[in-house]
Amino acid sequence: MADTKHVVRGERRLATRPRPQPSRARRPARLAPKLGRFALFALPGLVAYGLFVLLPILMTGYYSLTNRNPFNPPTEFVGFRNYVTLTGDPEFLQALTNTVIITLIVTVLANVGGLLVAMLLDRPSKLYLALRGVFFTPVVLSSVVISVIWRAVLTDDGLLNSALRGLGVTDPPGWLSDPELALYSIAWIITWQMLGFCVVVYLAGLQGVPRELQEAAAIDGAGGLARFRNVTWPMLAPALTINTVMLLITGFKAYDQIQVITNGGPGTGTTATMAFQVVKEAFVGNRIGYSSALAAVMLALVAGVSVVVLRVLQRREVTQ
Amino acid sequence: MRRSTFVRRSIALTVTSMLVAAGCGMGTQEPAGAPAASGAAGEVELSFLVFETPNLNAAFWDAAIARATAKVPGVKIKKLVTPNVDRTAYAKQLDAAGNLPDILQSVNPAGFAEAGKLAPFTPEELADFTAPAAGAIDGKVYQLPYNTQVIPVVYYNKDQFSKAGVTETPKTYQELLDASEKLKKAGFTAMIVSGGGADTWADMYPLTGTVATDVYKKTPDWLVKRRAGEVKFADPDFVKAAGKIADLAAKGYIDKAGLSRSYADGEQAFRDGKGAMYPMGSWFATSADNNKPGFEIGAFPWPSDDGSPVTPTFTGGGTLVSSSAKNVELAKKWALAFDEDKENNDAFVKADGSIPAIKGYVPPTDMGPVYQATVAIYDQGMKDGSIVNAFSQEAGDASLPPGLADATALAVQDLITGKKTAEEFAAYLDEQYAKATQ
Repeated sequence: MADTKHVVRGERRLATRPRPQPSRARRPARLAPKLGRFALFALPGLVAYGLFVLLPILMTGYYSLTNRNPFNPPTEFVGFRNYVTLTGDPEFLQALTNTVIITLIVTVLANVGGLLVAMLLDRPSKLYLALRGVFFTPVVLSSVVISVIWRAVLTDDGLLNSALRGLGVTDPPGWLSDPELALYSIAWIITWQMLGFCVVVYLAGLQGVPRELQEAAAIDGAGGLARFRNVTWPMLAPALTINTVMLLITGFKAYDQIQVITNGGPGTGTTATMAFQVVKEAFVGNRIGYSSALAAVMLALVAGVSVVVLRVLQRREVTQ
Repeated sequence: MRRSTFVRRSIALTVTSMLVAAGCGMGTQEPAGAPAASGAAGEVELSFLVFETPNLNAAFWDAAIARATAKVPGVKIKKLVTPNVDRTAYAKQLDAAGNLPDILQSVNPAGFAEAGKLAPFTPEELADFTAPAAGAIDGKVYQLPYNTQVIPVVYYNKDQFSKAGVTETPKTYQELLDASEKLKKAGFTAMIVSGGGADTWADMYPLTGTVATDVYKKTPDWLVKRRAGEVKFADPDFVKAAGKIADLAAKGYIDKAGLSRSYADGEQAFRDGKGAMYPMGSWFATSADNNKPGFEIGAFPWPSDDGSPVTPTFTGGGTLVSSSAKNVELAKKWALAFDEDKENNDAFVKADGSIPAIKGYVPPTDMGPVYQATVAIYDQGMKDGSIVNAFSQEAGDASLPPGLADATALAVQDLITGKKTAEEFAAYLDEQYAKATQ
């Protein structure tokens, strides 16, 4: 066993050994002729990125420092007042809590489920190949379509409760009408949707685990669990990083499912997430300035958490 | 030198492209009075925002638009459909993007009007309407008051009433409770309330009934007084009205499963016999007549404590015109043609059970029994002088501030699930009112 670990770590040292770099004096001279052409090719992308990403972010930042309300002009500069108000706003705090709960559930369940399914499907057979397509289907479907389907399944008169009643359950749970359950139902739907993504990423990771390492570990007497813990799992670290970061981002920006399935209910704020709250404040309450502050906090939170998690997970990655 | 010039030019081109594109994207709405955008043969294309329901489907809107357009030469209508029934929220989104449609159907004018985004109709333009001042904001009418709706009417399943031994429709609130108890004991769900998905608004109707009988009957201008700060939601009358909803739910008379049902699913649940009473707006009447379930449907007004008549209604709900429409006068002319057209109103009556508020209008003679029963309730209300506003449906000066009707509908779910008491519900509404009027 110790040998196996040594092989993996040894490979990491080899892989991370710095390659010879061109001297500082020569590099600009080679790049300079190409820079103009690069800029030209990058132009459409830069324009699109500037218009549809950077500009809205800058405008959101600006609006967050105002009291902008299209129905109550004039717009005035209010400094950080919106951010101060946020800290004591129970609706924001409820939305933040809901978002964190959804994100944690989605990140853990989709990762665990995705890994299990990927290990089951990691076989060279046409059936398993077809099953990979089946598991990936929800990823390419629109969230709205998925929400409509799941609403039909989870309403009190829906498919699930009809089946439960058929099995003799007289009072099946109100998956969407019970305030205690609705948030978990939403988390489950997002998990289901993201499962296929995790499966594909883990499958790619599993297929990248060198067979000789597995064989060496087996020769050393390692059982299935030990091989997974000491060979497969360390080699899946890049897949774990990708999945975790993507799931975190998906969880933090959950909106479509809530809008279609619960509208933030049942009741006040039961399933409202930060993204839902941003839209509600802006287009129901007309508080564009306040909503922009909420969006700015959400952006900072998603970016901050993603960067920290990315750094932490990348530290344990090994490469071949 | 040549290289650096090329790079500079590339960067300059990028920045210029961004600025030009940004300028195009952020200023698509032309100001009022600007030259009209013309279509083929000098036609002005006006956008018209509509919403679709099971009763008001795409075919209905297409036919209605075609009839009005035939009466106003030079107009071409571009139909826009809201993604769900909440047309006011969608109109706000379009407005925020600078794309408020030229003409809008049944959008709540609150907020839009005060911000100068809507064109007012003149008294001369409103001469043909029976309630020309309905929904006025600071004395100006921005939405054509083309129809009246009774909200709610309690529609009931006559078979289930009969099987449960309820022989008379409830005249007092106590009789409503007694009937509900008999229905429950007979194994029926007493009352269907929906409000799932994006249709949270559909849970409002029992509360609209109790506010009418317990608050508006005594103080018809209650919301005007609320605006002036003379009354609060936490006052005893409103708390009593909210308490009745909490009590109906706690006793198991309101079906909590409805909180996961959309408006259409709720209507279907009543048709499927999943509940005996269905408090809903009068628009359900023609839906019931046109698509008859396997039982007979009756109708009665939401009962008051002492049995005295109270008839909550809303008059208005018609077409609005944006003050920045491509051609405001032509858009108003088209809106009037749309709302006053006899065939259109006949179609609205037949598809949506509306009671047109247009002078001299006579509904089609072949209307079904549920519509006739609904109109009878309205006529009786007019005769009794018992007409009051329908809470959360109002427009104009006596209306909730923008966004509060949505907050109320969500909080009603808390009353039904028991998450909030009546007192907590009322306090929440006072908080939300303060927030909405900041």
